[in-house]
Amino acid sequence: MKILLDRPRCEGHGLCEEAAPDLMHLDDEGELVLDRDEIDEAERAQAQAAIRVCPVAALRFA
Amino acid sequence: MSRPQRIVVVGNGIAGVTAADALRSAGHDGELTIVGDEQHPAYSRPALSKALLNDVDDTTSHQLPEASHEATELLGRRATGLEVDSRLVMLDDGERLPYDGLVIASGCRARRLGEQDSGEITLRTLDDAIRLRGRMAGRPSVVVVGGGPLGMEIASGCLAMGCEVTLVSQGAPLVPQLGSYVSDIFVQAAQAMGLNIVVTEQATVHRSGDGTRVVLSDGRHLDPELVVTAVGDLPNVEWLGASGLLRGGALVVDSRGRLRPEIVAAGDVATLSTPRGIRRIPLWTSAIDQGRAAAAALLDGDAATPLEQRQYFWTEQFGLSLKAAGHLPVDGEPTWLDGDRDAGTALLRWELGDGTASAAAINYRIPVPRLRRLCEVAA
Repeated sequence: MKILLDRPRCEGHGLCEEAAPDLMHLDDEGELVLDRDEIDEAERAQAQAAIRVCPVAALRFA
Repeated sequence: MSRPQRIVVVGNGIAGVTAADALRSAGHDGELTIVGDEQHPAYSRPALSKALLNDVDDTTSHQLPEASHEATELLGRRATGLEVDSRLVMLDDGERLPYDGLVIASGCRARRLGEQDSGEITLRTLDDAIRLRGRMAGRPSVVVVGGGPLGMEIASGCLAMGCEVTLVSQGAPLVPQLGSYVSDIFVQAAQAMGLNIVVTEQATVHRSGDGTRVVLSDGRHLDPELVVTAVGDLPNVEWLGASGLLRGGALVVDSRGRLRPEIVAAGDVATLSTPRGIRRIPLWTSAIDQGRAAAAALLDGDAATPLEQRQYFWTEQFGLSLKAAGHLPVDGEPTWLDGDRDAGTALLRWELGDGTASAAAINYRIPVPRLRRLCEVAA
């Protein structure tokens, strides 16, 4: 499974990074970087938490 | 302690949905039912007064990804009562929902200033936002009553739409919520964009002919085409009146969100014990943290991790974005950590004297984890 980022929506809060530090991070410019192409089942809960916490719904499962 | 088999979540806002998600993630595979008094699926409430008001072309900015909890959703229905001993939630259509575990996340509603017929508009729900957008489209003259973040965001949206806007505030806007330093920055930006600010001790709102009149302490009155009030929220606890769960009208939870072993509460409706007193924390990230903690406590009791209270607040208005972590409001001059005074970007920090600090980023991109680290004690 994959996470999709809707970049124009992202406001750089970084709440997703806090929820899923293994899967994504904000770079020095505050732009979100997805660190994995594929999410495995063990990481699903972390990915779900990151998607849920985004107040502008910039993330979703593909 | 055996885990509950049938769980009912009252409230389909972010706290309720997060609790439902968390229950599933933690292995609850029994019955799960969510009751929501709005017809809409869960949405992002912060967006209602930000992107949804400011971007007339985008009507989707409040939408959240589809829920993954696979709960039975009872939408457009309201809980009207709770029987704690027989473990039943009563709904407005007469249905009674039995539960072994209950999550109370019934949220808040807007406090109104006038009577039901006053004609004032409030902004709390998606339907409110759609109605307000509709009214704004005619570019009416607007008075916004309430100088908190919500009132200021609404005023900003109305100005951007081309309305003539007056903001009526008790004292300078945003001071009680953010402190005078940050308030000054926002008030300057607002006035530069043409916001008319009227400070009054008190304001009342009345029906006047076909319109709505705002009366100030000194007797002056304003008769705009549209009155929006943003004067706080009231927790939806009336349905719990006979439950025995309320203390002084409040739903006071323990450090894990519990009211009883089988009943937890989360989000805007819940009152928490904090280092700065017993209070509600009606913020997006806190609702999510509370939803998770409450779900864990419902399944695992004392073995669950207590709620970590961390504040994160943001607002967008008058061309400025603010992101803040740590206790607000903050008094006095901050330390300037970074930014560009000419470009209007700033990263600010206030030491609070209790070993913590607050940090604010204005038009400055910074990930929340970094902002939070600035709030930790300097050795």
